[in-house]
Amino acid sequence: MKPIDVLIVGAGPAGLAAAIRLRDRFDQDGRDASVVVIDKAFGPGYHNLSGAAFEPAALDELLPGWREERNLLTDHVTPVKRDEMYFLTGRWALKLPHFVVPRRMHHTGDVTIPLSRLVQYMAQQAEKKGVELYYGYSARSLIVERGVVRGVKLADAGLDKDGRPKPNYMPGEEIRARVTILADGTRGVLSTQFRELFGAGRNPQVYSVGIKAVVNFPDENPFGNNRVVHTLGYPAPNSVFGGGFMYSMGEKTVAVGFILGLDWKYGDLNPQRELERYRAHPFVRRQLKGGTVLATGAKTIPEGGYLSLGRLTAPGALIAGDGAGFVNIEKIKGIHYAIQSGVCAADTIADAFPAGDFRHDALSSYSQRLTELGLMRELKHARNYRQSFRWGLIAGMPLSLIQSHLPVALATHPDRLTTRRGAHRGGRDAGGMDQTTYISLTGTSHREDEPSHVSILDASQCLECADRFAASCTHFCPGQVYRWSEGEDGADGSVGVPSGDAPRGGEIVLSPSNCLHCMTCAVKCPYDNIRWIPPEGGEGPRYKAM
Amino acid sequence: MSAPRGKSPAPVGKPARPARSGSRAARPLHCIVLVKQVPDVSNIPEDAWDREKGTLKRAMLDSILNPLDLQALTFARRITEAHPGSRTIYLTMGPPQARETLVDCLSRAPGEAVLLTDRAFAGADTVATSYSLACAIRRIEKELLGRSRDYVIVTGMQSVDGDTAQVPPQIAEELGIEHIAYAQALETQPELAIRRIGPQGAEVVRPLRYPVLTTVTACMDPLYRSFHQAREARSGPIHEWSAESVGASPQRIGLAGSRTQVYRIFSPSEERSKACEFVHEPAELIDRIQARYKAAGGRARAAEGEVYDLAGRKPSYKGEFWVLVEREGDGIRSVSLELLGKARELADCLGEKVGAVLPCGEAGTLAKDLIACGADTVYAMEHPLLCEFLPIPFKKAVSELVRKHRPQVMLFGATPLGRELAPRIAYACDSGLTADCTKLEIGDYAKGDLDLVGILKQTRPALGGNIMATILTRDSATQMATVRPGVLRVPPRDPSRTGRVIRSKPDLAARELGVRTVSVEALEKKASIRDADIVVSGGHGLRSRALFERLLRPLADELGRVLGGDAKVGASRIAVEDGFATHDRQVGQTGQTVQPRLYVALGISGAVQHISGMAGSEIIVAINKDPRARIFNYADYGMVGDIELIAPALIHELEKR
Repeated sequence: MKPIDVLIVGAGPAGLAAAIRLRDRFDQDGRDASVVVIDKAFGPGYHNLSGAAFEPAALDELLPGWREERNLLTDHVTPVKRDEMYFLTGRWALKLPHFVVPRRMHHTGDVTIPLSRLVQYMAQQAEKKGVELYYGYSARSLIVERGVVRGVKLADAGLDKDGRPKPNYMPGEEIRARVTILADGTRGVLSTQFRELFGAGRNPQVYSVGIKAVVNFPDENPFGNNRVVHTLGYPAPNSVFGGGFMYSMGEKTVAVGFILGLDWKYGDLNPQRELERYRAHPFVRRQLKGGTVLATGAKTIPEGGYLSLGRLTAPGALIAGDGAGFVNIEKIKGIHYAIQSGVCAADTIADAFPAGDFRHDALSSYSQRLTELGLMRELKHARNYRQSFRWGLIAGMPLSLIQSHLPVALATHPDRLTTRRGAHRGGRDAGGMDQTTYISLTGTSHREDEPSHVSILDASQCLECADRFAASCTHFCPGQVYRWSEGEDGADGSVGVPSGDAPRGGEIVLSPSNCLHCMTCAVKCPYDNIRWIPPEGGEGPRYKAM
Repeated sequence: MSAPRGKSPAPVGKPARPARSGSRAARPLHCIVLVKQVPDVSNIPEDAWDREKGTLKRAMLDSILNPLDLQALTFARRITEAHPGSRTIYLTMGPPQARETLVDCLSRAPGEAVLLTDRAFAGADTVATSYSLACAIRRIEKELLGRSRDYVIVTGMQSVDGDTAQVPPQIAEELGIEHIAYAQALETQPELAIRRIGPQGAEVVRPLRYPVLTTVTACMDPLYRSFHQAREARSGPIHEWSAESVGASPQRIGLAGSRTQVYRIFSPSEERSKACEFVHEPAELIDRIQARYKAAGGRARAAEGEVYDLAGRKPSYKGEFWVLVEREGDGIRSVSLELLGKARELADCLGEKVGAVLPCGEAGTLAKDLIACGADTVYAMEHPLLCEFLPIPFKKAVSELVRKHRPQVMLFGATPLGRELAPRIAYACDSGLTADCTKLEIGDYAKGDLDLVGILKQTRPALGGNIMATILTRDSATQMATVRPGVLRVPPRDPSRTGRVIRSKPDLAARELGVRTVSVEALEKKASIRDADIVVSGGHGLRSRALFERLLRPLADELGRVLGGDAKVGASRIAVEDGFATHDRQVGQTGQTVQPRLYVALGISGAVQHISGMAGSEIIVAINKDPRARIFNYADYGMVGDIELIAPALIHELEKR
């Protein structure tokens, strides 16, 4: 068995960029080295979701000539020609004049693209170059020996619901490599372990959840082509950092979504219902009239930025992409950073190859490269951006304009600590798409006999949560994995505990096969009482054009 | 807790005994595993549906290894593990992309792989496919197994896209070997024995000669892919063979070699009216259901007023309409009588006669019953070897008869017997065969240079039941089809009918048998909701297990009593997760697919995955407290309200009748 030189965990934009760059470098340097990428999804792009409005420059460098011929990417890329920002109240939409919108948030020169399509294209190119891509393998933990990362261990397969081995039981294999790149995405299991072992950032990482629907039109769409719209305000309450978006994707499709900072205080805020509120707003509804939702999805976004970046290298490993936290929330961008960081990681490794030494010192040039590239500078500029909105939208907006000049580093607090006792979202439900249909359009599935990959560590805490925080997970999980059940003598097994009712008894009942791998639960459970580990490979959502 | 990879538990049945030296168990027994890349119909993205045309864009579905072939792979691994020195060869026929399926197999259980790929294979139906694969198997035997005849061909019973289960028996027919269908378990000590479901019940059979072919049902926990093996498989050799390299004759492959043709694809819901009729009184609901239930069961009947009129034209086929009669104990299996009724109806359209083919030890009084149910002629083939079902003697006898008399249509029940026998007979007679038809009618077809009059239009579900296809037979003397039991109705008996009986004794010999039945166990009818006429399902809206049990069983029992039929209780996935019912009652994408005459959904919202498990039901009734529940989009009748009040009221109403 040929040994593995570079193992990359995660075949998203960061992982694939690293893989492509490595193969280019190895071929250039005349090195016979293997580049192996593993991903837990069933196929390329299936677990990737974003808006996305994308700065293509990073891709131009990595895969020059992608624009020249017709390919998967050119078929799905839409140049942005109109770029607008609105402020929404319950009924109105006020367009913000262009000069009011900070320059960094302009999207001229960008393209819109479904992230899963971008990833599919990159995967195609990677395979052509000889990258070994393996889908359907879930990495469960790092293999660390004497402080050096030696590879990863995969999740076990073939256990039954009670965790007992079935006849086809396969213990998680060990994959060892000379050096490992972790590109496992937002709140990735391995990146989280990496930070625990080697050092987290100055600020705790904080997140938003993005919830999205792809709307198809039979012919022309009222929203228009080549257009990008961002909105602030409704339905996000003033205290919640969030906003919506609508992006043209080709001529017959519009991506619509809403992003909500997970530091919300409401126990019973349900992101999917918020999306329906958004879609029901007169302005939004007009733009999407006549369209049908064919696909949906949700995912978290790491927003802590510069001050939440932890150690980026360790003996034998580096982290890149969302898993490291390279997201600029001021620009609401992260994909091109993912690509850039992947490329830097690859160059760092390729340069260290001759010496064959992948200890910390050899890899430390990674940070330098990121700085040289401008990535670090941009992130540093936005370092207090997210924190500016801690005191609400109204206070945050002016603060966000001066945040880069503040001599202090504003702190963040873990999102799970911000849920406030008795805080209820209120408001009338907007109707629209029911959550069950929403979940079925994500294409998610898991083997039902599998042991649940999400677990409640201490059920007694859930009773307290139900009392104080309306059993928060039963509301915030886009996949409705968590349901409150009061048992035989209680009232119904409703999904979310209605505000104001203190249940007598009961527990959380799990539907893990609905899981979207968005990671909201790992972040937002007020008691840090939920453990999320990757299920068997090949499961989870099937995003084709997210 | 960590078991070494691939170690299997003790073989089913007997405790492991050391192989006697020189016995079969000590020698290699190679496996040729036939696999197919199919669309993943368990995960259909919304944009794969072309709602206007009612078709599915296959290209938008993910490609996977056919689930039952994954079972076959696991089954084969058990065989090769018990016979040291055995080789495993994976064989697939498909476009170049099918290579991925072979890599998938190799990453689960190591071996060698052959990709049979050639543009000439395109458009092949089961007959052409079977022939092509058989040619490849011959080459594998010659070149990869060193001409050894000690091998088993293992494959999944059917593929999820075609669902016909015809290819394996037809391959066996082309190769002239036995096939053992519906395998569920195997024993390897002292020799290979296979436990299967046959027409007589659960049998344990032992091959007397090799090679032999076996088809596998869902019976094992399938092997997972190993990363390290996947890595090996990538760089390992996969043989790529063309049609010419396996000696396949061009007229027998691809379109040219096909005997059936799909001529229309449409959505199953085309056959059901969309609007749900909301009812307010329990009594009214029962009335509606009763009226409709009585009329149901004739799905395959032509709609009122639609009788085919030949109008003096010359039909494309000439000959009788035959039915293969299956015996059950001393009598006739109900499906054969159902088919006779249908054959009578079809034959009358063209003014032809109906023949009943009866393989038996002795006809006795059976011929009379067959004539009373519509047969004009009974062809009674009497021979001791036809007392109990054995595929090869039955096939030989029946195909000889078919070749002699050349009926224009031959119908079989899609029973365990029919599914084993019909494909072999069709192949032996070079006829097209369509399996599991839900509708049969006489019609015309004109397109291009085809102008057919009075042919048999055969409609069946495909792609896991997600679409319907209408098929016609080509280039065959006889149009053959199998029909599921219960789809048609048993015709009324008319003792005054007359007909003739033609007796014959086919030339069969015991030494032709290739398997020995070691034991037979009659199968007790298991409580499977799949076979029920009526399914009453409860969902999340039932709220508690106590309520679920208190309401559903009595409702099911009363409906069964009043309407007449076998009634079972089912559950939605959430109800199973909540602990209201066990998994074997789960209806839906990850549970069972049911097609009862009546499906009653109580407190079920109607998520897409649940609907896919019961959309084929004839009559759907939904009761839910939410008037906007999705289930009402699929229901024929609905009631909005509290289930705790409605269900007892329905039971009460039924008790009065």
